[in-house]
Amino acid sequence: MSDHRVTKFAIPEIIFGQGSIGYLAQCSRRLGAKRALLVTDQGLIDSGWAEHVMDILREDGLDFLLFDKVNSNPRDYQVHEGADLYVRAKADVIIALGGGSPMDTAKGVGTIVGNGGRIADYEGANRIMRPLPPMIFIPTNAGSGSDISQFCIITDVERQVKMSIISRSLVPNVSIIDPHLLMTKGDQLVVSSAIDALAHAIESFVSPLASPFTENQALKAIELIAKNLQPALENRTPEVMEQLSIASTAAGMSFSNAGLGIGHALAHSLGGIFDTLHGLVHPIVLPAVMRYNLPACPEKMCAIGRIIQGVPESCSPSQGEEGIAQLEELFARLDVPHRMRDIVPDASKLEQICRMAVHDACMLTNPRKADWKDLLAICREAW
Amino acid sequence: MVQPTDLQDLIGIEHSKLGFFQELRQKVEELKESNKRSEEQRREIAAILDGITDVMMVLSENLRIISVNHVFRHLFDDPHPEGKFCYELFRHENHPCQECPAFRSLATNSVCRDTAIFKLKGRNRQFEMVASPLKNPEWPEHRVLIFKRDVTLEKEYQAKYYQVEKMATMGMLAAGVAHEVNNPMAAIRGFAEGLQRRLPRIEGVVESELAQDFREYTDIILKECHRCQKIIQTLLTFSRPVSAAFSPLALNKIVTDTLRLVDHHLRRRNGLKIHLLLADELPLIYGDESQLKQVILNLLVNALDAIQGEGAIQIKTSCVEEEEVCLCIEDTGCGIPPENLDKMFEPFFTTKPVGKGIGIGLASCYNIVQEHGGDISVTSEVCKGSRFTVCLPLNSNVRIS
Repeated sequence: MSDHRVTKFAIPEIIFGQGSIGYLAQCSRRLGAKRALLVTDQGLIDSGWAEHVMDILREDGLDFLLFDKVNSNPRDYQVHEGADLYVRAKADVIIALGGGSPMDTAKGVGTIVGNGGRIADYEGANRIMRPLPPMIFIPTNAGSGSDISQFCIITDVERQVKMSIISRSLVPNVSIIDPHLLMTKGDQLVVSSAIDALAHAIESFVSPLASPFTENQALKAIELIAKNLQPALENRTPEVMEQLSIASTAAGMSFSNAGLGIGHALAHSLGGIFDTLHGLVHPIVLPAVMRYNLPACPEKMCAIGRIIQGVPESCSPSQGEEGIAQLEELFARLDVPHRMRDIVPDASKLEQICRMAVHDACMLTNPRKADWKDLLAICREAW
Repeated sequence: MVQPTDLQDLIGIEHSKLGFFQELRQKVEELKESNKRSEEQRREIAAILDGITDVMMVLSENLRIISVNHVFRHLFDDPHPEGKFCYELFRHENHPCQECPAFRSLATNSVCRDTAIFKLKGRNRQFEMVASPLKNPEWPEHRVLIFKRDVTLEKEYQAKYYQVEKMATMGMLAAGVAHEVNNPMAAIRGFAEGLQRRLPRIEGVVESELAQDFREYTDIILKECHRCQKIIQTLLTFSRPVSAAFSPLALNKIVTDTLRLVDHHLRRRNGLKIHLLLADELPLIYGDESQLKQVILNLLVNALDAIQGEGAIQIKTSCVEEEEVCLCIEDTGCGIPPENLDKMFEPFFTTKPVGKGIGIGLASCYNIVQEHGGDISVTSEVCKGSRFTVCLPLNSNVRIS
C-alpha cells in the first residue's frame, strides 16, 4: 500500500459450514420468497445436488421454478431467457446453485429483472442503477468466488466477448457455503477451481487496490490452497474440502474488493473467443503472469513465494522467483493441461485475443502496466 | 459505447449494493397519497350517496342484499339487512316476486323500471323501482343496483287532483245543465200550476171525465217536475266547492239521493235486484254531503261493474254501539282475488280494462272516509262477491285536514 488510497471492503452475508445448506429455505423466506427461481446447470442435476436443494425447498413448502439452461461461459441470451421466465412466473428470490456459470447467470437475470434492457447495457463498472431481486448463492466448486464478488462475467455471443459487469449490487444478499457439496467433485474440477481461487488470491494480492483487509484474505487463501490441494486429490476428507472452501471464499473477498490482473483479462478473452474453460487457463498463464508482474511488486511476490514454499524466514531477493518455480512444479504434478497449445486450437488468433484482453477491466488492477504486445509475449511464453 | 473503466470505478466508494429502501419509501409515499385520494373519493361518493333520498340497494344475482343506503335503514328497523333477501324484507315472502325488475335488468343488461306496492310498517306504500345491472369481470357474480322511490304521497295527491278536477268539471256541467233545465222546468211547472188554478173554471163546462183527466195529468206533470228538480238539486250538490263545510247529515237520505242518480242505470240492467235495508233510526253524522255521495256513488258503480248479467246489490245502513254509523254495500259479482285486496285503495290501481277507469275511485273513497275520521274495509271471495263497509264516527270533531 504505497499510496494512501481510500478503499472499500464489501462482502455478502456468509453462512458457512457443513450442513449450512439446510438453512436455505429459511433464508429465502427471510428475504421474502414466495416463489423462488432456482438457477443451476446440468452438472448439478446429474450429481443430484439440484434435487437435494429442491427437496429442501419442497419440505418447507416453498414454491420454486427451475432454470437450468446454463452452460460454462454463460451466454447473454441465456440470461434473457432466465429473466423472461422470472417475470412470467412472477418469481421473487433468485437462488443460484453451482459454480461461476449458474451464479453469473443468476446475477445477469437479477440485473435484467431489476433494470430492464439488454445485459450488454451494463458492461463495465457501476452501470446498474436499480436494485436487483434478493439473491442467495450456493457455490459448489470452491473456485469462482462469484458468490462473494461484485463481478459478473457474461459472454456476448455476437461480439465474441466475455463482458465484465462490475457493481456492488451484484454481490448476493446471502452466500451459503457448504463444503459438504464439494465431496462429489471430480479431480479435474477440484484442481481447476482451486487454481482459479489461487489465481484470484495472487492477482488481487498484488493489485494496486489491495488493502490490509483484502491482503490478509488473499494470503490466507494462498496458504490454504498450497497446503490442501494435493491432499484433497489424494483423499477427499470433509476437513480438507472445508479448507479449500475457506480458501475460495477468502480469495473471493479479496478479489471482489481489490480486483484481479492480466491473467484474468486473458482468461476472459480466451473464454470469449474459444469458449475455453476458465479453470483451465490459470495453471497455464499464472506463472508467466507472475513473472511479468514480479518487477513491479517484488516484496509481495516474495511473500507469496514464502507461503507457497512454507518457509517462515524473511524474504530473500530470489524468493518470488522460487515461489513461481514451485508453483510450476505443483501444476506440473497435477493432471491438467499446462501449455497453452493444449487448450488453444489456433495460435494465429493469439494476437486478436490479446488485443481484446487489453479492454478488460481486470487490466486496470494489474500492478505492472501491459499492452497487447506484453500479453502476447506472456502467451508465447506459456505456449 | 462503454466508457473506459478506471480504478475509482472498481473501488466504487460512492456505489453500494442497491436495496429497495428508497423504492419502498417512494411506494409507501405513493400509497399514502393514493390512499388519501381514495379516502377523499370515498367520502365524496358517500356524501353523494347520502344525498340520494331514494332507497338504494345493491343485490346479488339471487337478490341477496349486499349493501344499502341510509334511507333503507330508516325504512326498515332491521340493523343488519345485509345477507337477507330483498323479498324477505319487502314482501315477507320466501321466493322472489314475479316480474322483478332486477332479473329483467340482468337478463337484458339494461335499466328496467317498474312500480310496486309494499306493505311496510302496516301501511301500503307505492314504490317506483329502477334496476340497473352492475357487471364487473372482477366479481364472481353480477350484481344489480336497485333504486326505490316512495311515490305514495305523490300518487295520493295525483289521485286527489284528478278526482277534484273531475268533480269540479262535473259540478260545472251539472250546474250548467241544472241551470238550463231549471228554466224550462220552472216554465212547465208554472204553466201546469196555472192550468190547475184554471181547472175549477172548466169543471162545469166540460165532461167531468175530461176534467178528471186534466187534473190527473197536471198532477203528474207537477210531480214529475218535482222529481226533476230533486234530481237537479242532487246534481248540484256535486258541484259544491270541494272543501265544503261539514254539516249534520242523515246517511239514509244521502243513500237515497245517490241512488236516484244511478236509477236509470239500475233500471237498464235486467235481472239486477237492489235490496235496500236502511236502518229506521239513524243518528245524524257530521260530514261533507257531496263527498260522501261520491263515496257511495263510487261503491255503487263498482258493484254494478262487478256484476255481469243477473245478480243482486244489497245496501244496508246500521248504527254500531252508538258510536258509529256504517254503510255496507254488498254485491254478488266476480269478487276480488286475494292478492289484489291489499291494493284496492291504492291510487291508480285498477283491474278495469283501459278506458273504463284509471284507478282513483277507491283511492279517493279511502281519502274521503279518512278525512271523516272513518274507516273503509273490504272482504271478498272470488266468484261469490264483495262487501265494502264504510264506518263513520258520530263524534265528528275528528277531521284530518
